[in-house]
Amino acid sequence: MMEPRLWRETSFGLTAKLWQINWIYVLLLCALAAVGYAALYSVGGGSPAPYATRHALRFAFGLVLMLSVALVDIRLIARFAWPLYGLGVGLLVLVARFGHVGKGAQRWIEIGGLQLQPSELMKIFLVLALASWFHRASHERIGNPLFLVPPALAVLLPVGLILKEPNLGTAVITAVVGAAVFFAAGVRVWKFALIGLALALAAPLAYSHLHDYQRARITTFLHPESDPLGAGYNILQSKIALGSGGMWGKGFLQGSQAQLDFLPEKQTDFIFTTLAEEFGFVGALAAMGLLTLIVLGGFAIALRCRHSFGRLVALGIATNFFMYVFVNLAMVMGAIPVGGVPLPLVSHGGSAMLTTMLGFGVLMSVYVHRDVAFADQRDDL
Amino acid sequence: MNDQPGPNPAEPVAPPPYSAPARSFGAPREAGVPRMETVRVTAPDLARRAAMARTRRRLVVAAWAFAGLFLAVAGKLTLATVVAPLKPKLPEAVRVPEPDRAEPAGPRVERAMIVDRNNQILAVSLPTAELYANPREMIDPAEAAHRIKQAVPRLDEAEMRAHLSAAKAFVYLARRLSPREELAINGLGIPGVYFQPSERRHYPLGRVAAQVLGGVDVDEHGVAGVERFFDSRLTGSADPLRLSLDIRVQAVVREELAAAMAEFQAIGACGIVMDVRTGEVLAMVSLPDYDANAFGATPAEDRFNRAVTGMYEPGSTFKLQTAAMALDAGAVHIWDQFDAAHPIHIGRFTITDFEGKHRFLYLPEVLAYSSNLGAAHIALTAGAERQRAWLGAMGMFRRIGVELPEAGMPLAPPASNWKEAATMTIGFGHGIAVSPLHVVRGTAAIANGGLVVTPTLLARADGTPAEAVRVMQPATSDLMRKLMRLVVTEGYGKKAEVAGYFVGGKTGTAEKVGGHGYKKHANVSAFVSVFPMNAPRYAVYMMLDEPHGNASTGFFSTAGQVSAPAAGRVIARIGPMLGLLPETADAPTIEAALAIPLQPAHPGARAPTGLAAAPDHPRDAARERAPRRLPLVPATPTMPQDARHEAALAVPVAPAGYAVAADAAR
Repeated sequence: MMEPRLWRETSFGLTAKLWQINWIYVLLLCALAAVGYAALYSVGGGSPAPYATRHALRFAFGLVLMLSVALVDIRLIARFAWPLYGLGVGLLVLVARFGHVGKGAQRWIEIGGLQLQPSELMKIFLVLALASWFHRASHERIGNPLFLVPPALAVLLPVGLILKEPNLGTAVITAVVGAAVFFAAGVRVWKFALIGLALALAAPLAYSHLHDYQRARITTFLHPESDPLGAGYNILQSKIALGSGGMWGKGFLQGSQAQLDFLPEKQTDFIFTTLAEEFGFVGALAAMGLLTLIVLGGFAIALRCRHSFGRLVALGIATNFFMYVFVNLAMVMGAIPVGGVPLPLVSHGGSAMLTTMLGFGVLMSVYVHRDVAFADQRDDL
Repeated sequence: MNDQPGPNPAEPVAPPPYSAPARSFGAPREAGVPRMETVRVTAPDLARRAAMARTRRRLVVAAWAFAGLFLAVAGKLTLATVVAPLKPKLPEAVRVPEPDRAEPAGPRVERAMIVDRNNQILAVSLPTAELYANPREMIDPAEAAHRIKQAVPRLDEAEMRAHLSAAKAFVYLARRLSPREELAINGLGIPGVYFQPSERRHYPLGRVAAQVLGGVDVDEHGVAGVERFFDSRLTGSADPLRLSLDIRVQAVVREELAAAMAEFQAIGACGIVMDVRTGEVLAMVSLPDYDANAFGATPAEDRFNRAVTGMYEPGSTFKLQTAAMALDAGAVHIWDQFDAAHPIHIGRFTITDFEGKHRFLYLPEVLAYSSNLGAAHIALTAGAERQRAWLGAMGMFRRIGVELPEAGMPLAPPASNWKEAATMTIGFGHGIAVSPLHVVRGTAAIANGGLVVTPTLLARADGTPAEAVRVMQPATSDLMRKLMRLVVTEGYGKKAEVAGYFVGGKTGTAEKVGGHGYKKHANVSAFVSVFPMNAPRYAVYMMLDEPHGNASTGFFSTAGQVSAPAAGRVIARIGPMLGLLPETADAPTIEAALAIPLQPAHPGARAPTGLAAAPDHPRDAARERAPRRLPLVPATPTMPQDARHEAALAVPVAPAGYAVAADAAR
């Protein structure tokens, strides 16, 4: 319907696109990274080394990556959605066969010195692929169960591969992100109920296939105090750190639980605990408010977008971010089993930072290109 | 964040086909919106708009859901930080038991002696001296140390020299110097050396009665046993504390127990001798034991007093309680028969008999052959309520009340869990754990005419119990004595027989609980006995913990084989000490009076209540007759003991010649 040359019309140049970037949203992301810098400065023993400086450098790199991606035309991204998905699956297969084994799981591959967790990339690529699939769908076709089979398989394949790594937390998040795209695309609610029922019935079977450490997490989640020196140690120490913060916190660099190494993984998964201990309930709530703004901002971008591809992509990326934050916070507070999920942009870790910023880059691209028209808006016209 | 409102779905915003892009970037906003006249709304456009609107609705739903989840997390955060913060658990400081005595204000009173009932000294404090010095007054530390070493060779010269050379004004050189040593050092005339009077607790008998006496710490404070319980009494008054123990009896019990323990390679043993009328404990032995003079260096397992701290399943010794309870209530009679032919399956339990007779047993046979099934049926006939009330009155749910801080709490199922299965197993002494002294007191009450006494370690001047509560009719006790005697004459307790002492008792072999369920080859084998049965004076309890049978016992480690013989030997040795000479002249008469047939004849006439009938299948019959909730024993006047019991037993059961001969002898 649309002529290809319009993709490159002059008023849609780089400068114009830069203006279109939602700089307020970028500021929010910078604020969150600054919170991470402060927390890592504290767990580093009041020093920029070894965590905080590297965090800042990575964020700077991530920011450039994000802005670059934001300028890429969303239709171009849409066109490469499925090839990217294929690349993600390929990386997952690669990690399964040649991956670097760390902490009892095979999750990483190294590309030119850069450690990469393909499951993180996979979630973004999955969102793109699903959005591209449902973008072409009419209401009638969404109602057709057969139409839903390919995207369902597209979700299950990476979820299965990630489960195999094994990485239960990321697998669950991937599945939820996929389900969110299905939901937003208009799949009937009763179908979700049906799947949920099937999952509930399959849960006991799945439990028997879980790894011992995964089962131990579920058991200690239910009774963390029963095993304070074993697997319940993380949750217990985390809860103690949260409790010792109180309303206003102990003050910056004063958190004893975090400073004195009571907390394991304090620079990665349990970074929020440091925040809560040193800045108290108020500080933790402020950090949560920032995170909420970023999630809801993603939804606002989705609502503002005029094409359904962009909407679904924005929703998927916002959901992915939300799931990260939610699982991490709930884990730290002992509300769900420990899952090895970092707090994006706050926790120490290069791979997660880059993939998160890549995701935000795509989200920003949706915002920049919120009003563009797709040539193949409908394939059933 | 997004500072622009989302498109209104009703607004015709879809880019029209064949037109420029919806909006030029950088151009005014209105420029992107097609003018109305160029818009042609088609059906697919409407469908797409509907789809977009649906997506929009769903996005809003998802946003709300996520916001809700965040709120939940925020709520959890509030809980974890402000409302109910988790405090780190610090390890609790180790609590050292405080001596229950205030430091005396005046000069130190010497700790009183402890003596046994015959004034034999068990514990005494000896005056000693502590040697200290002021190094600053020392002229020549090396010379002083050398001379002290010459006077008291057991001291370490190098250590003293080091102490005396220290730059301090006070150093201890030696503790617990005897008066002779003190004199020798004093005679040296070394300036700067001083003495401080002190005392030392000494236990002349060492291991005998070690757990009862307990011990003192370095400051002469009682830390266990009688020393601790009577700490303030011992420091407050100079009069000797006279215990009920008879150290001769104690020594005999200890010797026989140690011999049996060695013979059967048991890991522990316990023996008690108690006056059944006064509750005075004459002997209380727990093996392994320790030298009371070396209390501080003794491992805790040796300090453990099995007699009051150890809680064991009483096993078959409890069948005496079951029989007495049921007989006293009139629920059963001695001529009643109980099904010992069929194992009882209840819940996950199966009750069987060890060396079962596989037939219906008369009540005396149930005791003599120690039938679990019979005891279970008797307990069931009496009912759970009555059983609980009975055992409660017997003090089986309380601490024993003896003057030892170590006295422990029995373990019994809660009333809510005291169902049919518990009633039956407790009927033969399983599913409840009490201390050996509990068993002794309960058996004493059955034999002494029906009075529960409080066991005591203090000698009683007047030969009366400190406290005695009637729990059964004297007639029931008479009957029970005959049954206890029957166990020794005809049943599993034969090896406890001592001619002339009319020993009566009951064996009890309980499998120890360990790991999962009962351990098949780890027993607690106990024999509880009272003698003489015609005029009960003393209860003797002998228990071996995990004995192993040998050739002499046919490789059985049951109580009848390992504990009963030890009890017999103890009775034979302590009887004369306690002024009881074996009765030989009147033996046939007494024996006849104590006799009871294994299979008593039914008196004939049917009892008016119907309870007394001996039905073909007593258990079934008892189940249908016995009300579910029987009245509590103490709450209602007990039924008078069936007079027909005496009538039935009046018929001479011993060989006629015996009775005639006895009569003729008179």
